[in-house]
Amino acid sequence: MKKSIIGFLLCILFCAFFLPLFTLAQEVQKQQVEIPQQEEHEKIIPSPQDIKESTGIFVFIGWIWLVIFILIYILRLKIKEVDRLYQIKYFSSKED
Amino acid sequence: MTIKDLVSGWRTWLEARSDLSSIEQFLRKKTVPQHKHSIWYYTGSAILLFFTIQVITGFMLVFYYKPTLEEANQSVAQIMTEIPLGWIIRSVHTWSAFFMIAIVFIHLLSIWITKAYRKPRELTWMSGVFLLFVTLGFGFTGYLLPWDDLSLSATKVGTDIPRSIPVVGAWVTKFLRGGDDVTGDTLTRFFGFHVCILPVLIFVLLAVHVYLIQKHGMSLPLPVELRKEKVKEIPFWPNFVYREMIVWLILVGVLFTVAIFLPPSLDKAADLMAPAPEGIKPEWYFLFLFQLLKIFPAHVLFISGDTIAVILILLGVIFFFFLPLIDNKPARVKGKVIAVIAYVFIVFAVAMTVWSLH
Amino acid sequence: METMKLKHSLFTRRQFLNGLFGGWLGALLASLMYPIVKFIFPPVREPDQVVLPFSEFKDMAPNEAKNFPWGSKPGILKRNDDGSYTAFVAVCTHLDCNVSYLAEQRKFFCACHEGWYDEEGKNIQGPPPRPLRRLIVSIEGEDLIIKREDLQ
Repeated sequence: MKKSIIGFLLCILFCAFFLPLFTLAQEVQKQQVEIPQQEEHEKIIPSPQDIKESTGIFVFIGWIWLVIFILIYILRLKIKEVDRLYQIKYFSSKED
Repeated sequence: MTIKDLVSGWRTWLEARSDLSSIEQFLRKKTVPQHKHSIWYYTGSAILLFFTIQVITGFMLVFYYKPTLEEANQSVAQIMTEIPLGWIIRSVHTWSAFFMIAIVFIHLLSIWITKAYRKPRELTWMSGVFLLFVTLGFGFTGYLLPWDDLSLSATKVGTDIPRSIPVVGAWVTKFLRGGDDVTGDTLTRFFGFHVCILPVLIFVLLAVHVYLIQKHGMSLPLPVELRKEKVKEIPFWPNFVYREMIVWLILVGVLFTVAIFLPPSLDKAADLMAPAPEGIKPEWYFLFLFQLLKIFPAHVLFISGDTIAVILILLGVIFFFFLPLIDNKPARVKGKVIAVIAYVFIVFAVAMTVWSLH
Repeated sequence: METMKLKHSLFTRRQFLNGLFGGWLGALLASLMYPIVKFIFPPVREPDQVVLPFSEFKDMAPNEAKNFPWGSKPGILKRNDDGSYTAFVAVCTHLDCNVSYLAEQRKFFCACHEGWYDEEGKNIQGPPPRPLRRLIVSIEGEDLIIKREDLQ
């Protein structure tokens, strides 16, 4: 019981180590809001120019994640197959 | 003649000339233990994944980046605005660097805590420590390349710190800067480190590290080994690799999502004559060291505070490097103390990092 | 209606699964390759038009030629006998060497492989396969404007 509490607290602390990553992300977000006030050559903040680009970005990310989930599904099937083959010792005596 | 016949024909041709099948056999025979702490086994290949992404995006950035004082900032601006989707490539490069360094730390801590560096794996650990420094070197040298105000100041501070090392300090700083000050020569030197010297070093070190891992096999965490029970093992190829692929796919998805929605910006070109901007800080992975230096007073007796801090850090690094030799009785009290030191280090680093952000 | 019966499966379940995996992996890699390829082949950097101060060219003698920058390539502006101007991209259509105008012979000459063009830019001798690329010249007040031919 004690071990799991300590482990849990340490996990929280460990995640806090990556806090700067999020503050950096927040900074970037704030900067993106500031675009109208800043001169062009002062600071360049990449952002989509028009609705076509924004939609394109969302479609791209959505497509990538869809393909990733499909691949993970197929991989799980393959893992089940390959684990079962190992279990029944399919490869042990005859070298495939 | 079907495609299958063609492919198997080529494989036979290749096999007769290269003996590649021995590699396949080795990978099939190699096993990975499955136990409570097996999750940490995935960190190694995750690092390699991000490193590969760094190499590919780095190749692409180097097509357009111009490493001179006059053109560096402008060439990065060009990549972000004129070159199609350049901002994505740069963003992926930046975020993949963050992730790679983060997972390097996780990998290191997991090895420390599970004591995977025990005999006969001491050399694997030591090559790993060198790999850590080369990785941090990549991060440090890459940070200067956009040549904007913040990165210039961070480099000035960062290359000034070794000066506090007794005896050799000034030489180290001169070596890093290519002179006494941070100038265009520093940029050229850092670029040389980043695209040429450090890549060669990392490939050599990786070869040694990966060879040693294959030679010794996967280590078991000490408690599991001491229990002496039979641990379930799965073949590395294809069982473990398929599982690793799932991890890689998720990491790639997260990387691209973050890179596209949170791309880094570019400040205007650095002015060597301007006063330092406010809020200079190094990248997040150096923040805890940065804070450590800040808390030391300017002078302690007759020695400068910086020198003491740097010596402390160096002693820490030496302890860290020789950890497998120091921890020669891992199952006893000494071993437990060393494991606790890992947790103390985590708390310390996190606390210092959070403190430095205020 | 009779359905066709196959004696054996076209592929095993394992082959089917592997095929699916390979296919979708290919799709993922292709999607990731798209930004990479667009990045590596940047768009052509030729300008649509170039605006030059006419004062630099108005004192040109007939049958004289002067170079001007056309993006990253050289352009050549020739004053004709009747006072008008013709402009070409001064790049040989054979293997991209820069050409020059030889006023005495009234021909454009490429030194790399001895290619010759007449004063209208037509390829008359040597290896060049096509005439020199012509550009459209117009004068608007103080400016000499040179435009791409296909932008009408």
